[in-house]
Amino acid sequence: MQFEETLKRIQTHKGVIGTIVVNAEGKTTLDNSTTVQYAGLLHQLTMKARSTVRDIDPQNDLTFLRIRSKKHEIMVAPDKEYLLIVIQNPSE
Amino acid sequence: MGWRGPPLASSQPRTSTGFFTAQDLHWLLHSPGPPLASSQPRTSTGFFTAQDLHWLLHSPGPPLASSQPRTSTGFFTAQDLHWLLHSPGPPLASSQPRTSTGFFTAQDLHWLLHSPGPPLASSQPRTSTGFFTAQDLHWLLHNLHWLLHSPGPPLASSQPRTSTGFFTAQDLHWLLHSPGPPLASSQPRTSTGFFTAQDLHWLLHSPGPPLASSQPRTSTGFFTAQDLHWLLHSPGPPLASSPAGSTLHWDPDPSTLQLHSDSDLLGRGLRLGMAKVTQVDFPPKQSVSYSKETQTPTCTQTHTQEEEEEEMAEPKPAEESQEEKADEEEKQEEDLTEEEKMQLLHSEEFMAFFDRGSRIVERALSERVDVCFDYSGRDLEDKEGEMQAGAKMSLNRAFSDERWSKNRVVTCLDWSPQYPELLVASYNNNEDAPHEPDGVALVWNMKFKKTTPEYTFHCQSAVMSAAFARFHPNLVVGGTYSGQIVLWDNRSNKRTPVQRTPLSASAHTHPVYCVNVVGTQNAHNLISISTDGKMCSWSLDMLSQPQDSLELVFKQSKAVAVTSMAFPLGDVNNFVVGSEDGSVYTACRHGSKAGISDVFEGHHGPVTGLSCHSAGGPVDFSHLFISASFDWTVKLWTTKSTRPLYSFEDSCDYVYDVMWSPTHPALFACVDGSGRLDLWNLNNDTEVPSASVCVNGSPALNRVRWAHSGREIATGDSDGQVLVYDVGEQICVPKADEWTRLVHTLVEINENRDEGEELAAQRLVA
Repeated sequence: MQFEETLKRIQTHKGVIGTIVVNAEGKTTLDNSTTVQYAGLLHQLTMKARSTVRDIDPQNDLTFLRIRSKKHEIMVAPDKEYLLIVIQNPSE
Repeated sequence: MGWRGPPLASSQPRTSTGFFTAQDLHWLLHSPGPPLASSQPRTSTGFFTAQDLHWLLHSPGPPLASSQPRTSTGFFTAQDLHWLLHSPGPPLASSQPRTSTGFFTAQDLHWLLHSPGPPLASSQPRTSTGFFTAQDLHWLLHNLHWLLHSPGPPLASSQPRTSTGFFTAQDLHWLLHSPGPPLASSQPRTSTGFFTAQDLHWLLHSPGPPLASSQPRTSTGFFTAQDLHWLLHSPGPPLASSPAGSTLHWDPDPSTLQLHSDSDLLGRGLRLGMAKVTQVDFPPKQSVSYSKETQTPTCTQTHTQEEEEEEMAEPKPAEESQEEKADEEEKQEEDLTEEEKMQLLHSEEFMAFFDRGSRIVERALSERVDVCFDYSGRDLEDKEGEMQAGAKMSLNRAFSDERWSKNRVVTCLDWSPQYPELLVASYNNNEDAPHEPDGVALVWNMKFKKTTPEYTFHCQSAVMSAAFARFHPNLVVGGTYSGQIVLWDNRSNKRTPVQRTPLSASAHTHPVYCVNVVGTQNAHNLISISTDGKMCSWSLDMLSQPQDSLELVFKQSKAVAVTSMAFPLGDVNNFVVGSEDGSVYTACRHGSKAGISDVFEGHHGPVTGLSCHSAGGPVDFSHLFISASFDWTVKLWTTKSTRPLYSFEDSCDYVYDVMWSPTHPALFACVDGSGRLDLWNLNNDTEVPSASVCVNGSPALNRVRWAHSGREIATGDSDGQVLVYDVGEQICVPKADEWTRLVHTLVEINENRDEGEELAAQRLVA
């Protein structure tokens, strides 16, 4: 299935630690147990980021969120209903 | 009747090694009990309440398998437990002996351990181990070791983990494997030894084990009656090994203490034909009345769903306090079942979202740019880049896809007019994979470092030519081997064409090697020519029938087998075609002389590629065109003369394609079957190429296409790889005088040609 193929490709990409797909209400967990923590926190952050962008300019919308920390890079591709979260270790 | 328990250390009868007897419980139930800590939650779903026990002890109990009387020294069997969980329950007594919320907590246990205990009914010694022994637990844990590693039943939402709280599987596990407290007596602590009161005490007052990050169950996994129940009714894992020789065997006769280690039997023996408790409804905290309904099976979802729900549910209770229980319950209800999840995954929106999201994420993942890069210590790495800049042609990217381009030949390439980084490559069929679609077109992206195609398109028949539809940025046109023209749209989620031309005599019935969109924004057509000489013009909105068609015949008889086609810059009416017989023809689409006009003979083999001069500048060279052929040569022509102006004979293999640079007037590229990519600059030298590179592995290079910027060249080879080369600046960027120089060069070429012909003519004469 195209979804699984693509997902597998992302998961096996160099440096990727985890991938999570979240929906607006609950979760579809696809990976390990730190998932839930990430999913919940990032969901909140994404909502906040989106509302910030929209407050500044109501015509605007959040298209991609990327958090670079010392150890990891967290990428969030948001949508109306879902979030695709990928955590990567960029130095690998 | 029921469950035997672990093998006894000695031949002592069961009671003296102190199992939790009914008597103990009885005593417990009628004693005041410890004061309850305030932070202990009370739910009706998971804990063995004093009330339950009380009721059990005083109720007739389940039908006994054998005729054994049920005495007050009788044992709490699995059967009892089971029956307890599934029977309606006792009426609530108004004068409950313990508390109105009476649960059996660790605190109770603790208190129990430190109290003198009940007077024994018989002369049974009461040992300091007179409780659920470690042996029991150990046996349980090791024969049913998987309990610790299996998801278990869904947990009650409100279980906190506190040090005064509940006995988790992890605790037990940890306890069994940790050194433990110093033993009060000289009792050895062995793996079959007893969980002493001291141990238990120690456990209860120690911080507890560090939670492993890969906890088999969850950090909130409690050993509840429900767990036990579930445990007893699930088949259990195959045993890894049999414990120390003893076997556990479900023997209805309680006096025999033979235990077989067959967990299957264990499971089976206990399975009393009840459905598993799978869906547990956790009512709100406020209700403290003991409600049996929650423990009866309410629905029959599969066990795996339980596991999933549990996994999702488990981490949450640990963090949330009781006030948030309502939220938790809501969340739990929304946790997805397997079916729902699959449904969701297949829904339109999800697929569209995932398509977009994964594309962006893949690009982002491949970016290796480190914006925090520190140059102060890393000069060395930079120098590499400098060396490349001076080179003539350097390989920039290689595109191939393991699944879609392997074993296929690249049949056509086209750069997108709108997005200069997009390149479409079409491939023919994969002989090694007859079940895969014959025709594949992949859109590659130069801008990002990801190595997978932006878009993947297929169709039924091998794609021989492909192009981006010039005035429709979302459409890709393909001409196939069957004669069909297919149209793919990157807005649709499908990989198959959104439109196809019919396979009929009005359209094409031979392979279509050339497709091109010509015209202007408001008036454009798709032109396609097949190898039987038929040229059709189509409107992109309606591919069900051609707007116009024309048979290209030479001298009213011979149909031209067209292999390549080119339109001069700015011209929509006149064009040139190359054919299999080695001749190049000029033709018109409309007008009185519609059809073939002139023939240009000169090649000795089929013409494989044609390109009309397209670099606009001060001087117009649109009468020039070049052709490549199987006869190892590339010939330069002008529409003004039917003899070639010049023949480039540097190659030693079939020349498969040739193209003028879109920016430099005197530069063109050609590729041949020995893997060579040559760049010729007419102003520098007409005898040898100005730059040449040989592709690794020497595959036959089938196509060559300059990018619209004139700085990059894409080539497609017979192994299905698309290679993009960066051309060095000094070669590909034209200087201001290139045009005038080309004029002089052409004059020279002309003179040489005339001289050469004169000489040839003289020789003939002589």
